[in-house]
Amino acid sequence: MDPSVLDTLGIDIIGVMSPVSICMLLVVLIVYSLGPPSSDLAAGANPGATTAATLVYQESPADPPAQKLEGALLNAAAFVALVAAVTFLLLLLYYYNFTNFLKNYMRFSAFFVLGSMGGSILLSFLKHFSVPLDSVTCAILLFNFAVVGVLSVFSAGVPILLRQAYMVALGIIVAVWFTQLPEWTTWTLLMALAVYDLVAVLAPGGPLKLLVELASSREEELPALVYEARPNVSTRPATGSLELQPLPQSVRSSAIEFVNLEAEIVESTNADRSLVEIESVEEERSPLVGFGGGQQTGSTGRRNSSSGDVEVIEMTKGIKLGLGDFVFYSVLVGRAAMYDLMTVYACYLAIISGLGCTLILLSICRHALPALPISITLGVIFYFLTRLLMEPFVVGVSSSLVMF
Amino acid sequence: MERGGEVDEESNPLGGSRAAAGLGVPATPFYAWPTVDGQLGLESEDKAVEYARRFFFWGFFCLPWLWAVNCFYFWPALRGWPATSTPFPRLRPYIVRSALGFLVFTVLLASWALTFAIGGEQVFGPAWNNLVMYNVARKLDLTLWN
Repeated sequence: MDPSVLDTLGIDIIGVMSPVSICMLLVVLIVYSLGPPSSDLAAGANPGATTAATLVYQESPADPPAQKLEGALLNAAAFVALVAAVTFLLLLLYYYNFTNFLKNYMRFSAFFVLGSMGGSILLSFLKHFSVPLDSVTCAILLFNFAVVGVLSVFSAGVPILLRQAYMVALGIIVAVWFTQLPEWTTWTLLMALAVYDLVAVLAPGGPLKLLVELASSREEELPALVYEARPNVSTRPATGSLELQPLPQSVRSSAIEFVNLEAEIVESTNADRSLVEIESVEEERSPLVGFGGGQQTGSTGRRNSSSGDVEVIEMTKGIKLGLGDFVFYSVLVGRAAMYDLMTVYACYLAIISGLGCTLILLSICRHALPALPISITLGVIFYFLTRLLMEPFVVGVSSSLVMF
Repeated sequence: MERGGEVDEESNPLGGSRAAAGLGVPATPFYAWPTVDGQLGLESEDKAVEYARRFFFWGFFCLPWLWAVNCFYFWPALRGWPATSTPFPRLRPYIVRSALGFLVFTVLLASWALTFAIGGEQVFGPAWNNLVMYNVARKLDLTLWN
């Protein structure tokens, strides 16, 4: 009856993978139903607006591949440098205790993203399908959507489900905007971000590593947009071990978890009562997080992505996944959807298996891990393999009626 | 009296979850916590009342979704009929009023939107084209895709 790794891992994996899958599915649906971006259609005549990701080079389909590659690399480098600078800024602000400023900034940016960028996507839908919605109703709905979203991002007193839904919505909206980037830039950008993620989380002195250490030394939540899986306290069946040989540490910790299960519930009703509500900052699971410290039980990935940065730590129950991961997974799948559905399936499987590998690694080494590198690398490899090898093969085979 | 009520609320779920954990089955739903999130949500009725009141009043600023969130979050308080004794006597009025407000607002807005959509130009004349959202968006160039 030893609890195995999979006891905790199984629920955690589902708790993280289902929102990621929903996010990717919706991005693919949006991209697919609204058609290719205007920059691909009339790119030569009408180059898209310069964004943070196309600072250096504006791709046009007429350029030779070498020039595209060079420009895309420069774009990616510029964007990563920007992200790194913003992360260091965030780290500085957090170091000097401008936490309230950070939170308000996050609220503002959430409002902006939900209201204007989400509104723009909504309007595209209305226009594309000619929905006869009047402007007053539309404005009221959008206003409500944005305000409830802002409240749910950094405030207690909101259902967990709602907060998770808004996190996914933010990820979807930003990802749909990122799919507007030109193709070469998208791919180089994804690879560059995966590398950046790896460095920033794991290298000594990496900004995200510093940020996570700072936050955990202060015993605070990161002031960042982070998806947090629902902590499974009492919903988890206390028995039932799968047949997998348990690793020593994780067994120990999950044993602690089971022992503490009841004590935790007891204490969270009296001891934490004072803790939870002192300030209505972003504490999300504070009955569990703000605990005495002996409760470091389930594995938790935490990731922070205010602007595409990523990290995972484990300290509490419920895995945390930065919004940046949602965004860039979905960007990859969305970009694949612009080519063919076959690449979408391949990329989806690659990303999900990469995420699974990351979670398993997380439960083994138990500190913050970057979630982008494995998934993005697998996804990019699978995309190009599918596009260059599998698709000609399958199409050739099926068009000459050999198979399928 | 309130103190006694809280103790009651807390001992109940504890018993329930412990029994469930022992048996290895999911805990049966109980409604002694004020929120749908059980022990992960707000714990005392005081805090719940505070939040519910704030959401309820802000809902009048053309924010009916806050009422909807209120109803969803404090569903255990909304549940149960007036005849039966509710465990949250102070919380319940706000939630019931939120539910009523949300229903009224939704009915009004939906009837207006449906009138607008179905009636179309026959009812509203040429002004319809200036009010419909996709024309406004086209005029102001608000969309992401063409």
